Amino acid sequence: MTSQWIGFWVVAVCLLFGMLAFTAAVIGANRFGFAMNRLHSAGIGDTLGVMCIVGGVLGATGFHADTLKLILIIVFMWFTSPVSSHFLTQIEYYTNPELYRIVGKGAITSEKQKKQQKKQKNHSRK
Amino acid sequence: MTIERAYFILYMIVLCWFAVLITASLIRSIIGPRITDRVLAINMIGTMVICCISILSVMQKESYLVDVALIYAMVSFVSVLILVSVYLPAKKVRGEYGTDGNAGVGKASTESDAELVKTIADGDVEASKTKADRSKKK
Repeated sequence: MTSQWIGFWVVAVCLLFGMLAFTAAVIGANRFGFAMNRLHSAGIGDTLGVMCIVGGVLGATGFHADTLKLILIIVFMWFTSPVSSHFLTQIEYYTNPELYRIVGKGAITSEKQKKQQKKQKNHSRK
Repeated sequence: MTIERAYFILYMIVLCWFAVLITASLIRSIIGPRITDRVLAINMIGTMVICCISILSVMQKESYLVDVALIYAMVSFVSVLILVSVYLPAKKVRGEYGTDGNAGVGKASTESDAELVKTIADGDVEASKTKADRSKKK
């Protein structure tokens, strides 16, 4: 009987910590002022939140036929969340005209400046 | 209190809090100023729905719901990829300051002239000559 209650408290801590991670992700996605900061906070929910919630469900079911599928959900989310964040950051980088006001003028180098820097490097080598 | 009752209350608390969080993400997807915020909020809603379905599968002891959660994860990833492939510009060029990639390409000539004027004003005569030669060759 006591071991059952210990298992219950372990599952409760896992699920509530996952809820805390998701709450942080949603608050960050609603309160941050810039799209890349919001992408960062959403990545927390996609990885840490899914790991804790599905880990809690794994602890609740015990060893079962669905254990491998639940682990596969965690692995799949861990592989796909950085990919989607990367593509969304690419959209923001290539199409946001207000980007230089947020990160500062020196942080962004346009394609023309990159070509000029390459030419200067070649000249200095010769 | 029996152990089943305790588990039921725990799952109900988690599911009700997920409903609140999904509503907050939906608000972000509506007011999001750009397409990035909307796709991001929809992706977060998908992740939370996956967690809800996996909790429901253990709450109602229906093992097929885990398959549904796995398929939901795959479909939400594919939807994000397709939206990205629609909105990502085909010519990946970051424009000059204050313009996006497509607008920066059209403004290239005037901006090069502005740089030429700036280098002449700085007194860097040789660099301005080489730049003028390059622009003539073009």
